[in-house]
Order: sequence, then C-alpha cells, then structure tokens
Amino acid sequence: MKLAFLVFTVVLLVAVLPRYESRAIENPGAVQSASSDPQSDLQKLSLPILLRLGEEYFLRLGSANQNPQVFMPPDASSTTVKRALQLQLTQRLLQGKVANIRRFASSNSDQLDDSMERGKRTDDPPISLDLTFHLLREVLEMARAEQLAQQAHSNRKMMDIFGK
Amino acid sequence: MSVNFRVQLYCLLLMLSALKGEGRYLQENEVTAEGLFSLLNSEVKRESSTDFIYRRPLRCLDMLSVEGQFIFSADRPQLNCAAYFIAEPGEVISVEFSAVDIDCRRGDFLKVFDGWFLKGEKFPSNEDHPLPLPERYVDYCDTGMPRRVVRSSQNVAMIFFRVHSPESGFTITVRKLINPFPCNIISQTREGSFTMVIPHQRTNCSFSIIYPVEIQIEELSLGRLGSNDAPVKRSVPGCGGTGDFVELLGGNGVDTAKMFPVADICYSLKGPAQLKVGCDNAVMRLVSSGKFINRVTFQYRPLDHHELQKLKGNDVEDFCFIE
Repeated sequence: MKLAFLVFTVVLLVAVLPRYESRAIENPGAVQSASSDPQSDLQKLSLPILLRLGEEYFLRLGSANQNPQVFMPPDASSTTVKRALQLQLTQRLLQGKVANIRRFASSNSDQLDDSMERGKRTDDPPISLDLTFHLLREVLEMARAEQLAQQAHSNRKMMDIFGK
Repeated sequence: MSVNFRVQLYCLLLMLSALKGEGRYLQENEVTAEGLFSLLNSEVKRESSTDFIYRRPLRCLDMLSVEGQFIFSADRPQLNCAAYFIAEPGEVISVEFSAVDIDCRRGDFLKVFDGWFLKGEKFPSNEDHPLPLPERYVDYCDTGMPRRVVRSSQNVAMIFFRVHSPESGFTITVRKLINPFPCNIISQTREGSFTMVIPHQRTNCSFSIIYPVEIQIEELSLGRLGSNDAPVKRSVPGCGGTGDFVELLGGNGVDTAKMFPVADICYSLKGPAQLKVGCDNAVMRLVSSGKFINRVTFQYRPLDHHELQKLKGNDVEDFCFIE
C-alpha cells in the first residue's frame, strides 16, 4: 500500500513539473513603488559617470569646436542636467567623423578588387557612430552597475520572501 | 477516510504546493479538512500574480546588460541612435518589439544587428559569423518585420534606429537565453576566466576582451593528427593557419579579421602561459577543423597604468604593445 502510494506520488510529481520562473515576489503595489528605487538609484549613479563622459568628450573635441555651448546653468535640476549631458554627448558623437581606420596586415593587402568595394558598401552600418573604445567601456560600466543594482534588488526581495 | 490515508494525502498535497510555490500559505500544524481544501481553492490570495519586469526609458545611445522593457520616446528628431546589448558569455539575447510607432516612409527605421558595430568594424567578423551579412540585419520596416522576436547568435547584439517626428517611439523587451556552446563572446568585465569548447564543429570562435589585459592560458587541448605520438614536424614556422590551433590577436578595433596575430599555439599544453597585450582589444581565437573537440581554458586581468607604460616604453613600433 505504501509502495503503491509512493509510486503514485512520484508519477504525480513528474506530471506536475514546477515552472522555472521565480514567483517569490511581493504584491504588485510594493513592486511598483520599490521598482522606482533602484531606477532612481541608478540614475543618480549614472549622473557622475555621464559628467565624466561629457568632460572627457569636451576635452577631446574642445579645440575643434569654435562655439562651445554653455555646459549647464548652475541652478539646473539633476534631471535637466542629466538630459543636457546626454543630448550634448550625443550631439558630439553625431558631429564626429566616422572613424574608419583600417589597419592592414601584410597578408590582407591584396583585397581591393571590385567585389571588395561592393562588400565595403554593404559592410557599412546604417548609422555612423563615432564611438571610441573608451566611451564604449564607460557605457559598459554603466550597464554593469545597473545590472548589479538590479541583482541586489532582486536578492533583497528574495530574502524578504524567504524570511517569512 | 482513515487518519493514515488523510496524512498521506496531506503530504502529497504539501509536496505539490511546495513545487508550485504556494507552501508559504500553510501556517497550520494540524491536519484539518479546511487546511486541505484551502490549497485547492482557486481564490487563494497570491502575493503577486505578475512577474516583475524591469522597466526604464531607452536612451538614444545606450548599453543594456539587464533583462527588461525599455521604452524609447522621442521628444525631438533623433537621427542617429544605437543601443548595444550584452549578456553573459553563456547567454544569447532575445529582442522583442512592441508598440512600434515609427514612419518608415519618412525615413524612420529600426534595425536589429546580430553583433556589434564599432568604428565601422563588426564583431563577429564576416568569416566567423554563421550568417551572411545581409541576414544579420532584421529591419522592422521590411514588410512589417515578420519576426517580432529576434535572437542573436552570440552574447552581443545591437539596434540602430532613427525617428524624424517627435512622439515616435517603440518598446523593446530584452531577454537572455542560455547558450550551451558559446562561440564569439565579448567580455563584460576587464577580468575573469573562461573555457571555450568547440565540439566537432568546423568553426572559429573568438573571445574578445575590450581592455588591455594579461592573458594566462591554463590549459589547451587541441585534437591533432598524430598528437598521441611525437609532435608533427612542420615545415613552416607557427601553425601555418591550418588544422586546429589557438591564436591570440591584438588590435584597436573589434573585427578579428583586421587584428594582428600576436601568438599562435598549435599543440596542447598544460600549465600557465602568460602574455600581456596592451591593445584596446585582445582576442583569444580558437580555430577548429571539426575533426576534434578543442578546448582552451584561460584567465585574464587588466594591466595597470605602470605595466602599460612599461610596455609602451619597450616597443618602438606604433602598434599596441605586446610582451
């Protein structure tokens, strides 16, 4: 009888496999109010990095720009400042030329026939982005910070659930 | 029903509810009929019925490494925008479009690219990507984009978009999916370790680190004809670009086809082999013929300022600096 019950239980367990998504979450009200916290934290975190980004870019392009725009009014709100930095940074990126420096190794010097010319045209991206490695690393670190903050938030919620 | 049977049934329901995540509703220590049937009650209060989705606005130039929903809303014409996606090495990225409000006839576009474009170069290179270049683009404006969900072939992807009129916008949902055999990876971090495996596939896989690093190869296992006997004699120096080998590339772009070979290793080795690469990008590339299972395990750490200066001082050529 017990063996039959055990077999029945195993079959039922196999038939009702658990979903792999985590469902240990608080009520939606708390989620909505709490979800704004990591985002605002992240926005606060991203502001100094954007400031550094903006400064870096201004240093790079300052000599080429005859009429530098006013950086920011001293009494601007943080969101305005952040937005202004984003717009200015993007503007700088768009004004830059396409950096398409190709370093040819000696073995690649014989690839300039017509087919390669056609290939180069389709090889070009739809948008020219003058993004350097340095800027790419900066935005990557911002994304990593966002990911870690999100992970910490998720861990905190899990601990709250398990603590009950 | 007998007490014994009720206990067994209650145990069964307890296990089932634990599997479904509702065990936290069981607060009673006694086996009662009310306790039994409360689990079957569809009106059991759930603390959340919706999964938590991370949401934030998408910027014109953005980098995303988290899952979630990202909403782009233009308040002015945005003509040159791109968002980069990056996941863990063992994951691929899935991008789903919804609420797309752009005017394709006016020149707006929204394109997903399977890889990264940087300074006019693409990763993975044309030779290393499984798809031809035109198929790496998925354009929303092409016949309304039959595929609303696009999946990348590696851990990086990106979108290009352009909107002319304000109040245009779209929403993307980014998810990460497991990739059991990762090939062509960009590292999110400036230090770490990885094992790359190519199991009987005729393909070349690259692991790209966009920082100046010191790479230490812990173990390299290359299948090779005659490898169980004495090493095969070679008439050309190095690996000759044939067979199965590992090459370490350095350069200041992301296209592995345009990078300089720094070192190549044709034979299996155990024990650390170190190399400092002072380039903006260092790539560990495993070339595989498909006849064997090839595996390389390595770790990397960033070079500090002093080491970089020392490397620059030692090298007279205008090339990223190797030691």
